[in-house]
Amino acid sequence: MQQLTSVILNSLLAAGLYATMAYGLAVIYGVMRIINLAHAGIMMLGAYVTFALFTRFELDPFLALVIVAPLFFVVGVLMYIAVGKQITGGGSTPSIESLLVLFGVWLVLQNLAYVIWTGDTQSILTGYTMKSIKVFGVRLGVPSVLVFLASAVSLIFLNVLLKRTYLGKAIRAVTQNRDAALLSGVNADRISAAAFGLGTAFAGIAGGMLATLMAFTPDFGRSFLLKAFCIIVLGGMESVTGVAAGALVLAFLENGLAAYTSVPTSLQDAVSFALLFIALVAFPQGITGWFARFERRTAR
Amino acid sequence: MKIIGAILWAATAVFVLLAPLFLDRGSLNDLWNLAFAVILASAWNLLGGFAGQVSLGYSAFLGIGAYTTALLALRGVNPFITLPLGALIAAVFSVIIGLPAFRLRGPYFTIATIGVAEAIRVCASSVSFTGGSSGLRMPAGSFDFNANYFSMIVLAIITVALAAWVKRSAFGRALAAIKQDIDAAEALGVNSTRFKLAAHALSAAVVALAGSLYAINFQYIAPGSVFDFRLSLSIVLMPIIGGLGTVAGPVLGALIFSTLQIKLLSIPALRDSFLFIYGGLLIVVMLFEPQGLVGVGRRLLSLSRSFLRPRMADA
Repeated sequence: MQQLTSVILNSLLAAGLYATMAYGLAVIYGVMRIINLAHAGIMMLGAYVTFALFTRFELDPFLALVIVAPLFFVVGVLMYIAVGKQITGGGSTPSIESLLVLFGVWLVLQNLAYVIWTGDTQSILTGYTMKSIKVFGVRLGVPSVLVFLASAVSLIFLNVLLKRTYLGKAIRAVTQNRDAALLSGVNADRISAAAFGLGTAFAGIAGGMLATLMAFTPDFGRSFLLKAFCIIVLGGMESVTGVAAGALVLAFLENGLAAYTSVPTSLQDAVSFALLFIALVAFPQGITGWFARFERRTAR
Repeated sequence: MKIIGAILWAATAVFVLLAPLFLDRGSLNDLWNLAFAVILASAWNLLGGFAGQVSLGYSAFLGIGAYTTALLALRGVNPFITLPLGALIAAVFSVIIGLPAFRLRGPYFTIATIGVAEAIRVCASSVSFTGGSSGLRMPAGSFDFNANYFSMIVLAIITVALAAWVKRSAFGRALAAIKQDIDAAEALGVNSTRFKLAAHALSAAVVALAGSLYAINFQYIAPGSVFDFRLSLSIVLMPIIGGLGTVAGPVLGALIFSTLQIKLLSIPALRDSFLFIYGGLLIVVMLFEPQGLVGVGRRLLSLSRSFLRPRMADA
């Protein structure tokens, strides 16, 4: 019983973070139909910017997120103007060219970080990094709880944005049916820029939060990128709820395997990568195909 | 033009084969590295360039070759005898992965390959029989630089010749059809899965051979070196920068890559960040000239022709 509560609580905490990092990927895919491989680089950059704010200005990493989010939104919009604009296909499936260009962006970001911060392992150590609290008899690290709360706040903010504002409605409209949205007068260019900014901001926040949980190097972010893919393949990207559901599945699987089987923790990542492969193959036409099938089924 | 090309290829092959007669050890080492890069780039190009299936998981095959050789050599087998076995295992593995993965199209296939390669890297560094993350050391006394040099060079020549043959063959034309429009190719009776699997297996086997030779030459392998994601990355970057789907492209890309690498690695500040330049190159190439250096060359050639023609007309 104790173990079950522990698995459930830890999965919930992990899922919050996973959802934040997967949503950034989902919104860009939804609006622009491109797979943003630079996502990993942006998460890494988010970690380093949070780290820089923490060491230079002694800013608490969670307060730093308030600066990181708008900053990365601007970075995202600039990235869209610089490269994103040229590679938006508008087709139903993403092109391999766009994937490779964003892959190049990732490489540039990563190696820029090597130049600025060197390859040394860094970590953010605050007064509460080692502290823990007891919830239902389960010991939970204070940073993980704070990360969960920050994720919850940003996801609620996102949900309000998507449901209540023009921008959010336009983003959802373009995601659901690009042509129809354009016909009804949505400015595709502006919405794409906003979506790219939003996705980048979420990646930055996710990176900053990851930095409070674990040590990082410029190489950091790749395994989380794969996990984020896994989540959006599993959960879909129509809604925040879908992403959250995918995040929960992955988190439960990881924590459950760690608690109930003898699979060593070092193999944990391999499990989620294998799951990504299986999830992709189970929905052969990729995410869109799966959605098309799903829509047909619900339309009936 | 064709004859000039053939002469150039032959002259290069003769030069690298005779190089030990007049070059010092350092330059031969550079040539070895170049040959290694040429093999990886040309082999990847069989699937990625000719068939348009971009895989970011080729370090898996390199690692399989290297580990097969190292594990068997530690049990007393002559490392050169292990080469075909490593290639065979890699080819079989490529089919096992390819059967489900080739149902995916375009970028989804790419993402799946990253997942597979990363999963293998994590496994190789956590199970015990591969020596974990500390890797494996080859048994002492099996090092012979000349044998290593010639085997790598010969493999490079064979790989480039293989690529040239594939490009001209019916097999290559089927791959080109798959690249252009997979549905149209299927409609014309091309069994796309079978051709993709064949190209995947062929390139995986060649990359595994290079991996075995890598293990023999460096005497030490670890998941951090042979299963490294950066390696998969370099394998993809070389043909793209040189020119996807051409025979000369991957060779040019490998030449630039390995020359730059040596130059960049000698600057301490750039030791970790040399991929910066490749990232920039990748963006520029994909945005402005998806055909890479070969495309730039073709453009220059046709430009100079159109520049020369009116002059000749004047005269």
